[in-house]
Amino acid sequence: MHKYILKRIAFLIPTILGVVFIIYAIMNITPGNLGLAVLGAGATEQEIANYNHQVGYDLPFLQKYVNFLVNAVTKLDFGISYYTKQSVFAEVWPRFQLTIKLSLGGVFLAALIGVPLGIMAAVKQYSLLDTIPSVLSFFIAAIPSFVLGTVLLFVFALKLNLLPSYGINSWQSYIMPMVAIAIPPAAQNMRFTKSSMLEAIRQDYVRTARAKGAPERTVIWKHALRNALLPVVTQIGMSLGMLICGSVVVEKLFSLPGIGSLIIDRITYKDEPIIIAGTILISVCFTIIMLAVDLLYAFIDPRIRAKYSKAKE
Amino acid sequence: MKKIMAIVLASSMLVSLAGCSSSGSGSTATTAAAAETAAAADAGSASADAGSTDTSDRVLKIRKTQALISTNWEFIVNTEDMPVIWDQVFEGLYGLDEAGGGYCHDLAKDVSISDDGLVYTITLVDAVFQNGDPVTANDVVFSYNRAIESGRFNYATDMIDSVEAVDDSTVQFTLLYPYSAIDHTFYTVKISSEREVTELGDSYGTGPHTAGTGPYYVSAYDPAGNIVLKAHEDYWGGAPDIKTVEYVLITEDSAAVIAYENGEIDFMQNAPTTDWDSLVKASGENNAILKGNNIRSVYINYRSETNDGILANELVRKAICYAINKDAINNVVTNGLGVPTSEYIPSSYVETAPSADNFETYPYDPDKAIELLHEAGYTDEQLQAGVSVGTLTTYGAATGEKAKAAQVVQSNLEAVGLKCDIEVQDSSIISPRLHAFDYDLCIYGDSGNYDFNNIRQQVLVDGGYSVVDLSGDDSCVDYAKIQELLAAGIATTDISERAAIYLELWQMVADSATIYPYLHLPVAVVWSPAIDPGDGALSPTHYHIKTFSWK
Repeated sequence: MHKYILKRIAFLIPTILGVVFIIYAIMNITPGNLGLAVLGAGATEQEIANYNHQVGYDLPFLQKYVNFLVNAVTKLDFGISYYTKQSVFAEVWPRFQLTIKLSLGGVFLAALIGVPLGIMAAVKQYSLLDTIPSVLSFFIAAIPSFVLGTVLLFVFALKLNLLPSYGINSWQSYIMPMVAIAIPPAAQNMRFTKSSMLEAIRQDYVRTARAKGAPERTVIWKHALRNALLPVVTQIGMSLGMLICGSVVVEKLFSLPGIGSLIIDRITYKDEPIIIAGTILISVCFTIIMLAVDLLYAFIDPRIRAKYSKAKE
Repeated sequence: MKKIMAIVLASSMLVSLAGCSSSGSGSTATTAAAAETAAAADAGSASADAGSTDTSDRVLKIRKTQALISTNWEFIVNTEDMPVIWDQVFEGLYGLDEAGGGYCHDLAKDVSISDDGLVYTITLVDAVFQNGDPVTANDVVFSYNRAIESGRFNYATDMIDSVEAVDDSTVQFTLLYPYSAIDHTFYTVKISSEREVTELGDSYGTGPHTAGTGPYYVSAYDPAGNIVLKAHEDYWGGAPDIKTVEYVLITEDSAAVIAYENGEIDFMQNAPTTDWDSLVKASGENNAILKGNNIRSVYINYRSETNDGILANELVRKAICYAINKDAINNVVTNGLGVPTSEYIPSSYVETAPSADNFETYPYDPDKAIELLHEAGYTDEQLQAGVSVGTLTTYGAATGEKAKAAQVVQSNLEAVGLKCDIEVQDSSIISPRLHAFDYDLCIYGDSGNYDFNNIRQQVLVDGGYSVVDLSGDDSCVDYAKIQELLAAGIATTDISERAAIYLELWQMVADSATIYPYLHLPVAVVWSPAIDPGDGALSPTHYHIKTFSWK
């Protein structure tokens, strides 16, 4: 098992190298001129060239790529923003933390809403407790976060005046953004859990457990749910990754200084250090989440644990 | 269980209906709610406590659409950041009287000009920096030398030969040539504390500081979000009434409207015109639509080789101008709130800019456009099939105002038998191409508070300013004459003489049909009933919080 974990962690390294390479390559081939963006049209070509040279923007992209890797690995130095002159880490890290908080909160909320509803819908199939959440989930899954966010702003900020409409000033500021990003994945979680549970409930071992006289609660929670959770965990892990990458819409709507909005803003100015550092953080985070999901499998599914233990023996 | 579900669903529907039902009655109720919120808000909130006379702990909240990139004025490049740093925190020798037209003295007390127009001797007002140090001539020299060394301010400093301190409060500028638009230079270059800037070194601009002379200093700065300004109590023009200002980052227009209606922000410049009706209802009388000084124009590249150089034909270019319906653009882009124009620089904001009433332009006349195309040799069959004039290029969002205007222009051209594609991309991609004249037609915006530099930016090819290239022997205009007029304009300080020269110049440009101005964008401003913005709010770009006061 340890070997498996180490192997997966080691796989992170080429992934990150690949991501950084791709980002540098894309930044290199896209048109635009940092010096012109920063100095404005009033600067002469020589001054623009001098500026680009001074910040290292005019280096060949392979050299920039290698320099970045050397500095990042040996000095943990991601450089200075071309645009604001702030330390890249100082700019990116607080925003990344906010995005992580938002995404984790959203995923937790989505699981809290979706999984129990899915279980309920499966256990009470064809009842109102199945039909209503199932129909609602179809509609809700189709609502984009920004529409949901706007409705939440309208109702809870403007009409009811219960929650702040922008920024992060207190714990209350997180409520609407988290709900806005949690509801669509909650609907998906509900549908995944329901279908997975329905499949598990029809399995022989569940029938056997019932035949042996196990109480219904034990049958559902111990025998059916545990086996049904595997695809649900994958779905939750994937949705966390997607939320980290895709929370930019909600960040923009609620004016939250997250990593997604930072990257989008700086693309305009070709602020490579920020774009690359932000993308790397997101990539690493996404990969770690996928690793955690894989590891979680082993804890949930005894068959996987057994497979690795057997291999060890 | 079914009963519980039914109750929950019914309750949800009631809550939703309650939320929606008051939307129609909307704004009056909302205004009242905003006012109540304002009255009930805590001391640090955006809103005013009408019953209190102590205003020192109130915070004026102003919306900002993007994070401030630096607290150093030298790094400020966009009009979103300028009002914060250029207008509240720093000052130049001159200030810009945008609404009234022209410039006013800020740190300059007296100005004398030598007879040859080459030497300006300026005495400074008795002012102190926000850090308490007195403002001296050495600080002025230091600030100008930094600006001259920076590539950003070439347009404003390349006529300066030297800046010297005569004594502690007198500074002397020697110019390379007479330059009547020097006022804009005196406005553009801000004065910083030499001591503090030197001490801060590379960190200057990355955090709060007290290196300016303006009525406010930066007391908190989050590069990812909000900025807090505090009053400079020893400000030479008198301490401002509003003691604390917070710029809050609200990127989304709909969220900003809700925040305003909810009483969470007190002042919003460039309020979204798409929600103008609801903002007007919510703000009562506390709103204004100003004529922006940023003029949108269609540029026609007469040197484009598209379709065998069709745009080299002056008749085709003029036909394009006659075909464009400015009112239609205004309706589509700004819901009719903008001001269609034929001026290259707003005459109401710049003393020497000629009014469009005084020179010949191109009124919307599709019949005339078709007549000109016939004259250019195009048959009805060709026009019915559509004659390509290439690609109409612009920048910004795909749904932004320039992209929308491009669609109207495309449709206008199609109506007279011309066809063009539309290309919209980010400004970082498009701007270098426009300055390299790599386009057929383009939509470009230029703000004009200053005569010569705007003219230079638009018609004089030097240093990468221009979007249309009027230079060279094969120019479609008499470029030597344009240079002669520019030289004459910059050499005289007589306002009426300069206005006459620039009138002749703009008529030449209009005749060439290479730049076709179409619209002043509207600048929508709303403010809270709790504040009196004085005259400061009624400037299209550079408002001054020092004129604001709590009611």
